[in-house]
This record gives sequence, C-alpha cells and structure tokens, in this order.
Amino acid sequence: MSPTFRRYILTKLGWYLIALAAAVSLNFFLPRLVPGNPVDLIVSRFLQGGGGGASASKTYQAFITQFDLDKPLSGQFFAYLVNILHGDLGQSFSLFPARVTTLISQAVPWTLALQLPAILLGWILGNVLGALAAYKRGAFDRNLFVTALAVSSIPYYALAIVLLYVFAVAVPIFPSAGGYSFGTIPNLSWGFMVDALTHYLLPFLSLLVIAIGGQAVGMRSMAIYELGSDYVNYATSLGVSDRRVLGYVFRNAMLPQITGLALALGTLVGGALITEIVFSYPGIGTLLFNAINANDYPLIQGVTLIIIVAVLLANFLVDLAYGVIDPRIRAARSGER
Amino acid sequence: MAKRHPIMRIFAAFAALALVVTGSIAVAQSLPRNETLYIGGHQWGPPTNFNPLSSSPAWPTGGNGQMGINGAGYIFETLFTSNIVDGSYAPALGKDMAWTTPTQLTVHMQPGTTWQDGQPLTSADVKFTFELGKDFSVSTTALWDYLSSIDTPDAQTVVFNLDPARPNPGVVERYVDTVYILPQHIWQAVADQGQSALLQYENFDPVGSGSYTVMSYNAEQIVLQRFDNYWGKSLYGMPAPKYVVHPIFKSNDAGNLALQQGQLDWSQQFVPNVWSMKNVGTWLSKEPYYIPGSIPMMLVNVQRKGLDNVLVRRALAYSINYPLIAQTAMSRYSEPARSSLIIPSGVESQYFDAATVDQYGWTYDPAKAKDILENQLHATKGSDGIYVLPDGTKLSFVAQTPYGWTDWMAALQVVSQSAKAVGIDVTTNFPQAPVDINDVQTGNFDLALFYISGVGPDAPWARFRDMMDNRSVPAVGQNAFWDYNRYANPAVPSLLDKAGAATTVAEKKAAYAELDKIFMQDVPGIPLMYRPLLFYEFNTSVWTNFPTADNPQGTSPQWYIDVLRDVKLK
Repeated sequence: MSPTFRRYILTKLGWYLIALAAAVSLNFFLPRLVPGNPVDLIVSRFLQGGGGGASASKTYQAFITQFDLDKPLSGQFFAYLVNILHGDLGQSFSLFPARVTTLISQAVPWTLALQLPAILLGWILGNVLGALAAYKRGAFDRNLFVTALAVSSIPYYALAIVLLYVFAVAVPIFPSAGGYSFGTIPNLSWGFMVDALTHYLLPFLSLLVIAIGGQAVGMRSMAIYELGSDYVNYATSLGVSDRRVLGYVFRNAMLPQITGLALALGTLVGGALITEIVFSYPGIGTLLFNAINANDYPLIQGVTLIIIVAVLLANFLVDLAYGVIDPRIRAARSGER
Repeated sequence: MAKRHPIMRIFAAFAALALVVTGSIAVAQSLPRNETLYIGGHQWGPPTNFNPLSSSPAWPTGGNGQMGINGAGYIFETLFTSNIVDGSYAPALGKDMAWTTPTQLTVHMQPGTTWQDGQPLTSADVKFTFELGKDFSVSTTALWDYLSSIDTPDAQTVVFNLDPARPNPGVVERYVDTVYILPQHIWQAVADQGQSALLQYENFDPVGSGSYTVMSYNAEQIVLQRFDNYWGKSLYGMPAPKYVVHPIFKSNDAGNLALQQGQLDWSQQFVPNVWSMKNVGTWLSKEPYYIPGSIPMMLVNVQRKGLDNVLVRRALAYSINYPLIAQTAMSRYSEPARSSLIIPSGVESQYFDAATVDQYGWTYDPAKAKDILENQLHATKGSDGIYVLPDGTKLSFVAQTPYGWTDWMAALQVVSQSAKAVGIDVTTNFPQAPVDINDVQTGNFDLALFYISGVGPDAPWARFRDMMDNRSVPAVGQNAFWDYNRYANPAVPSLLDKAGAATTVAEKKAAYAELDKIFMQDVPGIPLMYRPLLFYEFNTSVWTNFPTADNPQGTSPQWYIDVLRDVKLK
C-alpha cells in the first residue's frame, strides 16, 4: 500500500467517524423532539373506564420512572452512549419489555433475504441490459428503453398492489400475506422452503422489476455517453476490436452505478416499508413505522442506528473501492497529475 | 476456461450446504386445517410477553380489566364473563356472586378449579391477583380506588369489601368479570422482586387455568394448543379446534383479504362492506351488523374562546350530519348518533330516556343551527361565509383525531363539511397517536374525537365520569385521564356518586336522566357515532355454528372461549 493511498484512507476514515458521532447524537435527540409522550398512550390504555384518583398519577409516574424519562436529558444521553458501546440498545417502550436488539434481530433476516437478492440481481440484470441496449441500438434499444423507463417510473408500491391483486386475489395462485403459511411452524425442510418461496416470489418480483428498470435506464445513458467519447472514437479508428472497446466502455460507465449500488445496499436495512405492508411481509420497515407511531424512542434509535452504520459503511466501502478502481481519485488527493 | 469463477464456487458450496442441512430434517410441520381455527385482529406487533399486568400483553392475555378483554378463558380465566348484549354474567372460575351488603360482594368459586400444572386454584390465588393491583402500578390498579380489602373465608369463597366512602358496585363488578386470575405459586416470586420486575416479566411459557396453552409464537403468528386436562372439561365442555392460530398482519387490508379468502375463520377488524363478502357472517344479520359498544366522542374544549359559549356548542351540534356519518364513515355499522351519553340499544337501553333526549338534545338540523347563530348569538356572516360573534370571535376551529384511525378521520371530515355548510369553519388535523393523545390529555385542542368508556357492568357510569367529573382533574397543561376539556358543573359530582352507588335500575335511571340532561344542556361533547367494542365477523367455509343474534347459544357472544366451544367443523 502506497503512502498516498494510506493517507487517503485515513482522511476518509476520520470524516466518517465525525459523521458517525454527529449521526449518533442526532439519533438520540431527534425522536425526542417529536411532540407527545410514549407514556400517555400506555397509561390511557390502563385507565380506560376505570380509576378515579390516586391510581392515575401513580401509574403515570411508575412508567416515567420505569423508562428513565424522569432523568435529565443529558443523563439519558450519557446512558444511551454507554449502552451503545456495550451493544445494548435498551428496551422497547411500546413492546415492553422486549429488548430492541431482539426485535431487530428477528426482523433483519427477512429484510435482508427479501432485498439483498432483489437489489443485486436487479443491479446486474439492469446494467447488462442497459449496456446491451446502448451497444445494439435500433429496435432492441427502443423497446428496452421505453419498457425500462416505464417500469422504473412506476412507484414500487403500485406495482406491489397490482401484483397482489392479479396473482393473489383475481387469480389466486400465490398467497396474499405473510412470510410463510400461517399455521406452519418454521423449520428447515423442503416443504417449508417451498412454502416460504411461494410467499417470497411476489414481493421479490415487485422489487426486482423496478430495480432492473431503474438500473437499465441509468446504465444505457452512461454507456451511450461513453460510446460517443473521444477515446472510443480514437480506438475504433485505430481498428481496436469491438469487444475490447466495449470492455473499456463498460468499466467507465460502471463507476456511478457502483455508487448507486452501495447506497442502495446501505439503505436496504431500513426495510421496504410499503412492500412489507402490502404483502404483510415480515421485516424491519413495519417495526420502525410502528415505533415512530408510538414515540418508542429506544426502538426508533435502534433501527436508525443500524441504518446509519450501514449507510456510512457502504459509503466508506465505495470510497475504498474507488480508490482501488479509479487511480485518478487517489492521484487528485495527493496532487499527482 | 478450465478454472471456475470464484463466485460460482462459493455459490456451489452454499447449495451443497443447503442440501445437507435440509435433507436431514423431516417434512414441513403444518397444522391440519380441520383441527385449526384462525383468528385475527387482536395482535398487530410482535408478541413480547404473555403478562396480563404489563402495558402490552400479547393475545390472548390482553385487555385485562377492560370490557375489550380479548382472550378470556383461553390461557387465563376470569371469575365471570359479562354479556354486553343483555348485561347478564356467566360463571367461569366463579360459580355465583351476590351483594351480601351494598358494599360487600361475595363470590363462590367452582369446585375443583386447577392450574394447568396440576396445582389447585383457590381463593388465595384470586386475592393475590387482585392485590397485585393494590401493591403495584399495573393494569388493575384503578380498581383499588373503589376497593378497600379482600377476604377469603375459605378456599372457595372471596369477599370484596368496597370503600364505603366511594361505593361503586358497577366498577367492582366489571373488574370481577374481566381480570385474569394468575397463579400465586408462580407470580409471588416475581412480585417479591418489585414493580419493575413485575412489568418486565415476559411469561413466555404461561401457566394458566384455561383450555389452551401457548404452543409457539414469533413475530408472524401466535399458536395455541388445546389443553385436554382442563379442570372444567365436564362442566363447560372442551373447545372444538385443537389449535388456534393468530396470524399477525401488517395492515387491516391483509387481514380482511385473508378473511374473505377463508384463511381467517374469525376476525376482529373493521371490514368495509362486510355484507358483500361471501360466506362471511356477523353478529347481526342486518344493519348495523355489530352491537354498539362505545361512543366515539367529539370533545368540545369549553376553555377555548368561542367554544366557551354554550350556544356556539349547541349550534355546532345541530349542524353535524349524523346520518351521513353513520352511512359513510361507519360503513352503516352505526345508527345515527343521538345526543345522549347512553347508548340507545343493547344493555344500556334500559337507562335510555327518549323523552329527555327529545326535549333537551339535538339532531341534524342546519336551519336550527343558523337560527341559534343569528337570532340568539346575533352572529354575522363574514365575506368568507363564516359567522363572527358580536365580540369579534370568528367561529373557526380545528378538529383532531389520531392519524390512521380511518373511520374516525372520515367522521371528522363529515363534521367539517356539514359545519362549513352552516357557517362554522372546522378544519381537520390528524397528528400521530401519541401527539394527539398528549394534546387531549393536556387539554390542548379545540375539538377532539376521542374514546370514552364503553359498555360494561359499570356503564354508562364510567362514561358520565369520563365526560363530566371534574374532581381530581389537573389544570390544563398537565395530563388528565378523564374530563379532558376541564368541563365542570357543580351539580355533577353528587349526582355521579348517587348513580354509582345506586343498586336498582330505577334509581340508576333517575340519576342518569339528570346527568344526561345536564350533558345536553351544557354540550361538553358531541357523540358522533356508535362503534362495536370489538368487531365480530366469521367465515363459515371451514368452521360453522358461530353464535349470532339469531342463534346465540352460549351466554357470551363476543370474544370469549364460549365461542370456540360452540363452533363445529363444516
């Protein structure tokens, strides 16, 4: 590793640590700026129709104490930082007494299993198709471009609802809800796998199709731009083989696409909220949504912390990859031209 | 190329691993459909505890102490069950109850009551369970505002002694009907560790006394398995389904679709146009399909300028199109709301006095609203069509209810339209639930559509208390748990105590009529519609013989274990 590259990495790392510190602090204070109080909801549920005196304020106080909301904000913040360092994200308020880490670890596998393949496969297929369209031109390009443009401009939840209606309601060949058939005990068996797969297919397709469309449109325009650039014209005029030229074109057009992929991978842990709601599919999106609805500070913090770390990590990896893939970036840093 | 791509190699390794792992395990464990009943609409998030005392117990241990109790008899049992249709109660762990004096309720328990682990269930367990509410702040604590002590003369008898200073037999009866009895031999150790331990107790392997045990649970579903050594087997009979599964849907729509497709057998959800679904039935076979159980109430903040004038409140009440709310917002599941705190049908009809309501109340009458505004208030219409009071106050208000409570939101939209047609500007605001609840409790609103107590053994007493009792209500800015608009009338407290202590229907009716009259004269709130306590709909493609109004069978029609004892395979 050259000293310039090492310096490049260290500078980046420093910036990311500062960003992380800022994000972790905001993560604590932002949910608390939302008006409303998580305890009101719980206590009003307890006291519906009953109670007539001491019990109301007693119960209210008991929960304020239980959730440490009587401590000063600075003390709460300090405790939050110490707990994070210990890997403890606290207990959910609205789903008390569940631990936030438990809730998240139950939801994350579903979110990853649904989104990771959809994003990766969509990215690969979309880029290949986009590059092909740019290269082949003509009818193939026109058809693919129009289709991809149309598909990529459909909101993903609209496609989800259409798929649900057509294949689960009008022609019920796929199940309409859940990660597997209700009444099935999850286990590692062929029967269960097949069952889970039939539940998986529709939500997966709704994400995949949109991803392909978006990537193909982006890749096509990048590739067309590269195909028209000077180095391509020059190489072609020298009689360099098409295959070889295309290789360079593809590599150059890929750079922005890689950024897009990394960002998509970073945000995917946030879950595809509406896909989860439409298909009643397990995942982290609905967990976060319900947490926000209940002012459940620890759960909101826990989920957003995971998102923050994932986004920063993904960006850092992109920066690293850029440093490796594109020597110009390293060179610019160290002043070599 | 002879060399395989590294990614392909990794993929192949994964495939091989998956084969090895899955090949060694048997076929999918799926519950047989003809032994399984699917139930929906009680649980919306991951189950986190089966502790009825906690703030968010999972089905079927929720609703402790409330008439909306949703799993009585499944795992934990109550002493009695209360029928919201006719007000009668049926035995469960208790055999009979009687008021030996006006402040003393004696309960005799069934012989042979036993916990699922074989230990005997005695009056000591009952006393222990109720006293947890006295010693700690849990879901049954509010009962102790009215109770002074509990005695157990023998292992089968429990005596509840009411606080003579605040006699309220109705409230005590409600708790006796709706508190899950817990085993002392398990919970004592938890209680000994104190308040926090009690609230944090997850109880994932609950030992109850009912006909089911928890078989499995995760974020997607809760599965119960029948417990065939149930102590009341010969007395009450056993439920038909061997398994009961509660899938946890992410949205109402997913649950409704499952009901329509016959994947759910029994559901507690707001289903639009329920009459149009094939094979789906409801408690009533015709409108309004459900039994009214509560009154969503538009609270009027009597502290706000403009609304502090009773005539303005009255004009607003006359301007609202109640039949339209029942038709559209409630999807015909409600009669048009009357101007009374008493629900005119069902068990409360015995207290409903139509003559008083006709004389002092209001109906949808825009002409009358305009008449009040112009001739009694001498308000003038501005150029924007909105009335302005002589002192310059413009009749412009904000009405709020939590976002996502769809039928409530729709009702406020009707209020906004019909009030505007008369000349009162009502704009809607739908904040998130915690924000809205905080606004309501701290008295920071103009108009708020909110819930107040539903039907039950203490109804409509608790409803009058919620709307009109200003005693121990903190000032605006602090959290109140009833009388959110800080309305006060000096005549109310003594009447309320009289109604609470009354023992005969005639006495109660007289006291409620007085209170209702004051409510209608002062207009601290406007009832907008009636809503069932819990929705009740069923699909008969697999299981049949669900109790209905035409075929009531057992005594508790709504969500109790009795329904599962009635259902039969098709």
